[in-house]
Amino acid sequence: MSVITIDHVTKAFGSSVVLHDFTETFGEGEFITLLGPSGCGKTTMLRIIAGFEKPTKGRVLIDEKVVSSQTVFVPPEKRDIGMVFQSYAVWPHMTVRENVAYPLEIKKVDKGTARKKVDQVLATVHLSQYADRIPSQLSGGQQQRVALARALVAEPKLLLLDEPLSNLDAKLRESMRFEIKEIQNQLAVSVVYVTHDQTEAMAMSDRIVVINNGTVQQVGAPSAIYNDPANPFVADFVGKIDFLSGLAEEGRIKLDDSLQSIPYDGSLRCPVIVGIRPEWISYAETGNLKGTVKSHYYLGDVNDCRIDIGGGKELRVITNPFESGDVSKGKKVSLAIRKSLVYKKESFGSDFLTIKT
Amino acid sequence: MRDSRVATGDKRSYFDIKWLFIIGIVAFLVVFEVFPMVYMFIKSFFPEKSFSLASYKKTYGYELNRISLRNTLVSAFGTMILGTLIAFPLAWLVGRTNLYCRKFFRGLCVMTYMVPPYVGAMAWSRLLNPNVGIVNVFIRRLFHLSMKTGPFDIYTIPGMIWVLTSFYYPYAFITISRAMEKMDPSLEEASRISGASSWTTLRTITLPMMTPSIIAGALLVFVSAASAYGIPSIIGANAKVKIPTVTTRIIDYVGLGVDGLSDAMSLAVFLMLLANLVLYISTFVVGKRKYITVSGKSTRPNTVDLGRFRVLFTVLMFVFAFIMIVLPFVTVGLTSVTKNLGKSVLEEGNFTTMHWSKIFTRKDVILSVKNSLLYAVISASFGIVVSVVMANLLERTTIKGRRIPDFLITVGSGTPSVVIALGLIMTMRGQFGLNLYNTLWIMIIAYLIKYLMMGMRTVVSAMSQIHVSLEECSRISGAGWFRTTMKITVPLIAPSIAAGWFLIFIPTFYELSMSTLLYSKDTQVIGYKLHYYWTYTSQQQASAIAFGILLFIVILNSILNKLTKGEFSI
Repeated sequence: MSVITIDHVTKAFGSSVVLHDFTETFGEGEFITLLGPSGCGKTTMLRIIAGFEKPTKGRVLIDEKVVSSQTVFVPPEKRDIGMVFQSYAVWPHMTVRENVAYPLEIKKVDKGTARKKVDQVLATVHLSQYADRIPSQLSGGQQQRVALARALVAEPKLLLLDEPLSNLDAKLRESMRFEIKEIQNQLAVSVVYVTHDQTEAMAMSDRIVVINNGTVQQVGAPSAIYNDPANPFVADFVGKIDFLSGLAEEGRIKLDDSLQSIPYDGSLRCPVIVGIRPEWISYAETGNLKGTVKSHYYLGDVNDCRIDIGGGKELRVITNPFESGDVSKGKKVSLAIRKSLVYKKESFGSDFLTIKT
Repeated sequence: MRDSRVATGDKRSYFDIKWLFIIGIVAFLVVFEVFPMVYMFIKSFFPEKSFSLASYKKTYGYELNRISLRNTLVSAFGTMILGTLIAFPLAWLVGRTNLYCRKFFRGLCVMTYMVPPYVGAMAWSRLLNPNVGIVNVFIRRLFHLSMKTGPFDIYTIPGMIWVLTSFYYPYAFITISRAMEKMDPSLEEASRISGASSWTTLRTITLPMMTPSIIAGALLVFVSAASAYGIPSIIGANAKVKIPTVTTRIIDYVGLGVDGLSDAMSLAVFLMLLANLVLYISTFVVGKRKYITVSGKSTRPNTVDLGRFRVLFTVLMFVFAFIMIVLPFVTVGLTSVTKNLGKSVLEEGNFTTMHWSKIFTRKDVILSVKNSLLYAVISASFGIVVSVVMANLLERTTIKGRRIPDFLITVGSGTPSVVIALGLIMTMRGQFGLNLYNTLWIMIIAYLIKYLMMGMRTVVSAMSQIHVSLEECSRISGAGWFRTTMKITVPLIAPSIAAGWFLIFIPTFYELSMSTLLYSKDTQVIGYKLHYYWTYTSQQQASAIAFGILLFIVILNSILNKLTKGEFSI
């Protein structure tokens, strides 16, 4: 387990700044996910930690020791890090065993110990029976596990994963998620994980770092990111959400272009953006909002409906079929808002979903 | 039931026009490539209707032929080793490190690819002639050496290896650097993060992964050097003790007329089998083990930081470029304006444009330039049509026989020039119903067999970049296969077609080995003429012709560069 301190790191390629003043500390044994749309700078951050890129400004410390700064640079091979690449990067000219044994060979671990460790880690990733195959005889999922085993074999205190599941099919991706989490618990290693898949981030992380356009938007536990997003971008990127604009008043928010309003007990008194997630709404006899069912999709586990609430606005409502009753198209319904997010309109403006700070 | 009937109806009413093209190309290759080679092979074992090794016993009974065999193998092997030793570090430095001026060096490394090798031989004979070689004189003066000759002598086997290397290492360089560009950089990063230094990574990951490409490149150098004629004929003929090689011996034998043909064949069959064996090994043995993994994500190519060696390596590269390219080409240029070759061109009154005005007024030179241009244009134009059709067949259809012409074209390009030419001489003199001997057609056919592949590969790789749906959309809009090719495919791959045309045109224009065997009084070409002038008339006039060819190629290359927006140039 190790601590990573990222201290005002900025990275620019020529004139384009891909990471902007990144400061954060990742604690011992934490599973940290860097989450953001493609091109947001998350992979660059990971590669700076690994030592494949040098920061333009700022410092990176691993266990209190500076590894990257203006004056110090520890090359990747001296950092004792395990890493899994998006393309797996399994060496095609070596067998599975040779691939996995490579880091130990470099460290000149004696043959007997090395063999034992390789067997052990291959068992952990369920590849024992494939030890003597060459990579081209393995499936994508198996190659991915070889990469994982190779990253783990030298027992690094820090494991970096660069979108390791993005090339796998949906089913395998889901099971690998839990396997990686299992292994992390078992080996007590700190993990920095890069993904653009919010479900992956939610399922695995202790803390999520949401990045957009090279700037950190929010750092927090999955529940905090989901329930209390720092800005509309985070709210929109993680989970489903609809935004309405309105005016905050005493006890209520009056929606623009509509005669309706929703209850509000906050202190803002200004134009606002209201964010409501589909599962925060339920059908009720005496709801806050009246509307008409515009479309209805029955998905088995849930009813997924779009409700027209007038003024050209729609809300998506996802409910348990046992609770929603009849929500067929054209039906008049009444909606109870159980929770909503309220943001000052002037802080974000009209293009609040593509925040550039 | 109904469906199947419609399907059969379709097959009958729309005859697949592609078959016509395949049959046409295959027929051409079988008649002019396969048949002559098979004929020579059989004839060499059946000189008089029954099986006999007599002609081999006779040919290889001569000591001179055995020496030539040994010279060919030794010089080709030496060139292969030296060429690969140069090519791999060069490809790595230019492709994977933060060397200064990488793009410039990359361009230089492939430049000699497009220059006639015999020009290099001429330049190096001027530089390293044991008596009056410019470099030798310079060194003797610099160190006040009292000897009259040396220290270098180009007219030796090591000298020959040196010139061969300077012209054939680009073959290995291109093969290796292409493979290096395709290698997923995270394979190397994975090694670094596992604890290996850049050097260890180069040794344990990069080098082993490149091995198949290195071997393929090395073999290509070997076979090119073994089949070279221009360089060994210029170097070997001027040596005190002549250095014959298999190619020069074959051409000597053909020069003897009908009496020499049997000996020429026995030597040619050896060269042919050697080339075919190498081709077989590099395609089917080494080719199968190529590990090219293309990464799913476009990663910025990770460059190795040379650190404090960066400047040193860059300086070394400049020295290398100076020795390999600047020095020989400048020498040829200067030779063409020197009056007395025994003295420096800088000396009073030793500068002259006489040689240039001479070559521009000589009728035979002008005729041979005209011939070369005409033959090269015909070859390139015909070749590029075949290339486009072949690219279409290979990349767009699943017709069963489509690999046959591809295979034959590859074999043709791997066959030594002298073998192709000798085969055509042996079979196209009318005894099999076709008499092309002493016509321009026999030369154009020979050029096509040798250089078609360069054009084809360029067009095929461009075609593979164009998604098939663009063409399918044209088909669904009602255009047939031929029309789709002309209206959609050809415009899209136009830059590659232009590049392919030049890639056939340029080597055809200055071709020497085949032309030497196939020319007649009226079909002399510039490559042959230049060789003749160098050997029998005047080195200065030959240098003027050579420099003219170089300028012409440089101009063509910059046109090509403009035409394809820098995508293709040599």
